[in-house]
Amino acid sequence: MSHLPDLVGGFLTTLALVALSAAGAFALGVVVVVLRVGPLRVLRAVGTGYVETFQNIPLLVWLVLFVFGLPEVGVRFPLFTTAVVVISLYEAAYVAEALRSGVNTVAQGQGEAARALGLTFGQTLRHVVVPQAARRVVQPLGNIGIALTMNTSLAAVAGVVELTASANRVNLVEALPIPIFVGAGLCYALLAAGIGGLAGVLERRLAT
Amino acid sequence: MRWTTLSVVVLLAVAGCSGGESAVPGGAPPSAIDRLLAKAPVATAIPAGSAMARIKDRGELLIGGSLDAPLLSQQNPGTGELTGFDADLGKLLAKYIIGEPKTKLVTSTSETREPLLANGTVDVILQTYTITPQRAERVAFAGPYYSSGQAIAVRRGTTGIAKPADLAGRKVIAGANTPAIAAIKAAAPTAEIVEFGSDPECLTALRQGRGEAYVQDQALLIADAAQDGELEVVGEPFTTDPYGIGLKHGDEQFKQFVNDWLREIQKSGLWQDVWRDSIGTVVKGDPPTPPVIGSAQGS
Repeated sequence: MSHLPDLVGGFLTTLALVALSAAGAFALGVVVVVLRVGPLRVLRAVGTGYVETFQNIPLLVWLVLFVFGLPEVGVRFPLFTTAVVVISLYEAAYVAEALRSGVNTVAQGQGEAARALGLTFGQTLRHVVVPQAARRVVQPLGNIGIALTMNTSLAAVAGVVELTASANRVNLVEALPIPIFVGAGLCYALLAAGIGGLAGVLERRLAT
Repeated sequence: MRWTTLSVVVLLAVAGCSGGESAVPGGAPPSAIDRLLAKAPVATAIPAGSAMARIKDRGELLIGGSLDAPLLSQQNPGTGELTGFDADLGKLLAKYIIGEPKTKLVTSTSETREPLLANGTVDVILQTYTITPQRAERVAFAGPYYSSGQAIAVRRGTTGIAKPADLAGRKVIAGANTPAIAAIKAAAPTAEIVEFGSDPECLTALRQGRGEAYVQDQALLIADAAQDGELEVVGEPFTTDPYGIGLKHGDEQFKQFVNDWLREIQKSGLWQDVWRDSIGTVVKGDPPTPPVIGSAQGS
């Protein structure tokens, strides 16, 4: 138990990874979905290209490419930053898809009606589409948040000592893999439950 | 869709470039181990009901180990042949028990080794398994069969790093789950350790300036330096890592048996031959004196 500080440190790093990546993924996801549902064909293509590129290549591959590939062309970020950027870029594709499915649940006629009344594209989104879509995407976004939490364990590849990596380090000394990894698993479960709970609260708020 | 395909192609090309350093030296020609196996001993007496008897009945020794440890236990992707010091010892041990070098490798990792032994998935672990008193509470260790040491490597031209204490306050690269991490913490507690999964990744990270030094098993570093002129091994090893053969906890009979075998191959010179065919392909000079069986705390 003398290794508790190591594990707590790992847990905090995981928390920071989750918080920063989730914020990054959401912000970028919103931009991408606006491109994808927008009226301009070129921008739609860009949005689609983004989603296809990031969804169809595993996160681990992206991490290795960014960590070891970018320095080859002279771009070198700190490892933690690299992990946050890569996870954000990757999860943004999923966020964008969840948001798009939310937008698609709003009947097309409503958007057309709003435009007919003279609202701009932005106004239509803000006043008609987003309020209805928001409550429908809370649960999918919560699930993406949980998936993102689990995916942060891959940051160990990028040399970031988060929860899984620190559990590994402690196990190397203690040789007690089952209790150590059960403990780490419980920490992840706790985080996931927190995100799930938050999504539930948000959904009820938005339903009224 | 065409864009996606294009970007995938570009990315794969980049990926291919960044992995270019993974060519690894060492590995004896396949005939070398066959030559050693031909003269390898076979146990004269196997007690009924023992772990050895069960292995003999099964006709296969189940070994927990690695597929990607250069010079120790590395699989040739072309032939499927497993080569290296640990791999060869595994074959010799299988011949000693069964009479034929029939082994099956179960990939184990630092987090799965103890459970794999405890639940009987593998008979032995041969995987740079450093004997420590803590581990000895859960695993029986035969050996030590090899004594290794962690050494420091830097990019050529790096100044100010000559001994382990010089690592203090610096960024130091180490392989994830290697004894290097504990060694660095003991020698220079203020060093910041950056971990990567494999030796080629650590080398790339060192080249790209992710850290100022790289701590790894000396034999492996010598092999790396032979490939890469930019790499410089500094000083001598600063730790002693006694590697043991992991066995099920409490099986004194099997431990005694494996220890007897180790003493026998050390005495007959077979151990030295295995060293020459593996680690000796990159480390100059004669084989080291093999460690005294039972000399490590926990063995």
